[in-house]
Amino acid sequence: MTPASTRVSVRTNVNGRDHEIVVDARRTLAEVVREELALTGTHLGCEQGACGACTVLLDGVSARACLTLAARADGRRVVTIEGLGDGPLAASLRQACLDHFAFQCGFCTPGMLIAATELLTENADPSVAEVREALSGNLCRCTGYDSIVAAVMAAAEALRS
Amino acid sequence: MTIQRLTGTSVQRVEDPRLLTGRGRYVDDVVLPGMLHAAFARSPHPHARIVAIDATAAAALPGVRLVLTDADLRGEIGDMTANGSAGLFVPTYSALARDVVRLVGEPIAIVVAESRHLAEDAVALLRIEFELLDPVADMDTAMSEHAAVLFPEHGSNVIYRTEHRYGDTESAFAAATHIVRERFVQHRQANVPMECRGGVADYSPATGMLEYHTSHQAPHAMRFTLSMTLRQPTHLLRVRCGDIGGSFGQKGGIGREDIALCAAARRLGRPVKWIEDRRENLTVAGQAREERLDVQAAIDADGAILGLRVQMVMDTGAYPQLGFPASGYTNVVRSLLPGAYRLEHYDFDALAVTTNKATYVPYRGPWEVETWVRERLLDVIARTAGRDPVDVRLRNLWTDDELPRASVTGVELIRFSQRESLVQARDHIGYAAFRTEQATARAEGRFLGIGFANFIEPAPFMPSLIKAIGFMAAPRTPQEAHIRVEPDGTLTLFTSQQPHGQGHETTLAQLVADEVGVPMAKVRVVHGDTQVTPFNFVGTGGSRAATLASGAVMGAARQVRERILRLAADLWEIDVADLDIVDGHVVANGVPSRRLPMAMVGVMAYTRPGLANADGSLGIDERHAYISGEGTWSQSTHCCIVEVDTDTGLVRIARYVVVEDCGRMINPAIVDGQVRGGVVQGIGAVLFERAAYAPDGRFLADTLSTYLVPTANDVPHIEVVHRHSDPDDPVPFRGVGEGGAIGAPAALTNAIEDALAPFGAKIREQYLPPDRILELAGLL
Repeated sequence: MTPASTRVSVRTNVNGRDHEIVVDARRTLAEVVREELALTGTHLGCEQGACGACTVLLDGVSARACLTLAARADGRRVVTIEGLGDGPLAASLRQACLDHFAFQCGFCTPGMLIAATELLTENADPSVAEVREALSGNLCRCTGYDSIVAAVMAAAEALRS
Repeated sequence: MTIQRLTGTSVQRVEDPRLLTGRGRYVDDVVLPGMLHAAFARSPHPHARIVAIDATAAAALPGVRLVLTDADLRGEIGDMTANGSAGLFVPTYSALARDVVRLVGEPIAIVVAESRHLAEDAVALLRIEFELLDPVADMDTAMSEHAAVLFPEHGSNVIYRTEHRYGDTESAFAAATHIVRERFVQHRQANVPMECRGGVADYSPATGMLEYHTSHQAPHAMRFTLSMTLRQPTHLLRVRCGDIGGSFGQKGGIGREDIALCAAARRLGRPVKWIEDRRENLTVAGQAREERLDVQAAIDADGAILGLRVQMVMDTGAYPQLGFPASGYTNVVRSLLPGAYRLEHYDFDALAVTTNKATYVPYRGPWEVETWVRERLLDVIARTAGRDPVDVRLRNLWTDDELPRASVTGVELIRFSQRESLVQARDHIGYAAFRTEQATARAEGRFLGIGFANFIEPAPFMPSLIKAIGFMAAPRTPQEAHIRVEPDGTLTLFTSQQPHGQGHETTLAQLVADEVGVPMAKVRVVHGDTQVTPFNFVGTGGSRAATLASGAVMGAARQVRERILRLAADLWEIDVADLDIVDGHVVANGVPSRRLPMAMVGVMAYTRPGLANADGSLGIDERHAYISGEGTWSQSTHCCIVEVDTDTGLVRIARYVVVEDCGRMINPAIVDGQVRGGVVQGIGAVLFERAAYAPDGRFLADTLSTYLVPTANDVPHIEVVHRHSDPDDPVPFRGVGEGGAIGAPAALTNAIEDALAPFGAKIREQYLPPDRILELAGLL
């Protein structure tokens, strides 16, 4: 029962910065970015892999940081909401979220923005149905999703023009 | 010149730049030096006696700092007593279980360790011996003579019983053409804020001060209750909230965990954090809505309701929440159930029972069952009388000539027209054309249906409603706002609202900016700190902000404006009537050279005694308390069109229309967000969400894979159409927080029954997953 405190060393790049971190093997990526790197934008909404609030990009692909052991990030690039930067995609997405009142309480926001970033990177001209599908792994309890879908559609349009 | 007013426009949210960049500050983001972490040992059983607790192994685990059970805390802290009312049994209970556990997940011990992982490891090492007792898992068992009794000191699981008679139902039923008898069952649901509960308790042995950082709707209520229960003097207790990841009613009560956590931090003299996990949240943070109404309606040949008899049973779970009493819910349902409909003979009986399940808490539109049952019943009546459901509603709604008036329960019905909202919804969705489309589709084997729901929402509760309910003053307490002009002329607003998604940092700043005459960027809204915010027991909840907080803010802002103008008038020796404040400058009409920036106003107010205040005191610092008069109703008609797949039982919502009248809007985009979010929670209630218990009291929905919340893929675009039936209120804004969730279950279940009419499906329960839909249609 008592845990053997196996420690592992993890070399990872988070939001463009290299880190070498020694952590308990059982710690998750979400815990490490929040607690070791003070990147508290990644939120834990369920720790069951169901709500999507903790979604980050792992080598460009969305991953549940709550179900991903920190050790799995070894040798890989992690992007959290703080690392989305000010490039055209992130800037358009943020502006569209402001314009469309995309979010209310803000707790699901990090995961939603990561999911939307992944979608718009792969598909510059998504349909409403494709946007809803791409966001369907991220729960929002406040908005009913209309405003988030509208924002992602608007961001895609802004990026195309 | 024309001044562009911010109020009434969709000004971008002040909150969003930080939330969109990961810079929000939620309770789990609070990190204090020397902070320890807590986890709770909880009951695996719904009903059991605690025979023995052995914490030896847990306490001996390296890194564990403290293990506390009720035995350790007795005498140090007090017990918890919920609000009562006449005839309601209210048990007293302890933060950590004493002798008996009455629900799965009941906290038994708190463990504090150097990390959350270690605390959870230690919880697993606690040895707790139980003697199992018979579970009471549903309301019928609770009411049976042979059931175990949860609170032997009361002697019965029925904790509240009430009977009300209005008019003469006996004569009404004697005159009826038809009598409709139905049992309507609403299932247990959960609020599911995306952020679970949590807190960081920080006690300073040096000062005796306890600071509690938490995620809560009502920080002052939290402080008050913590103070009483912990025996911690209130002046040595400060509650703080940052960003809050939703609540929907769940974070309005005071949790047993809050009390145990603060007690542990006080023992240790170090900060202790507890962040609820989702399993705990779904299991013990509170559940809602479980009610059953047996209804008899006497109707005439046209479907007019002559009389109504209702018997309600409410399942309150095991322990009463510290907040709204069980009797409050049944009496609000009784008072509001007639809605805006003509009803003069009405009997209403209610029982509340206690069971081995999670505590009943308010959930967005806590009285929603009144609308669901009434609007379902109207469709049943329409079918019974062979009439159109819209016509039956128009037949039964009070006409505009009959209003204003008091409802049968004594509630003043003023300043809305439910008939107009219904007609507008009917025309907007294209009702006549839909019936043609429906017939065509049926011929092709496709099953479309349409459903309507009307309701009026007290937003906030008005005096006549409080009187009809029979007690409970808290929802009527005034809101206070406090505005300070800072030395550089910027403004700080302190509000007793505790926003958790509603955008009050934006809407209240819009009001201040307009009333004073300054740019919005010069106004900061402060909430979430009992040390500086005005007292209020409710915080944000009950759709109170739009009217009550706005009234307070506008009043304080006008007082600030008067002070500023008086300062300039004295300085310039110009009559106040000739002065104005435009875009952050005091100006004198017709004298362009007279122009005083707010920055100078601030400096002078603080440095020139006697200029701002005749008594020589410094600064401009104004408070205003506001309580609304009568007439604060919002009203809505919801209407939706569904298609039911009779192979799979899946429901596709083709259109969803809300005709909403919440008076003038401060920020229309924020209003629309409130409406749509509520509607989707109501859709979730019908199609996805159920806080299910097994007959033996085990909880079956403790993950988001078993308690299903709607996703973006599951719900339609929601069309919102605004009306504004009364432009003349002094504070013309009405609350809009609850309504979406109130109307949706009724409109959706009505539409599903309409779609399944060819199968003769009768829908008398609110939870309709695909397999149940097929069963009700006789297809499974």
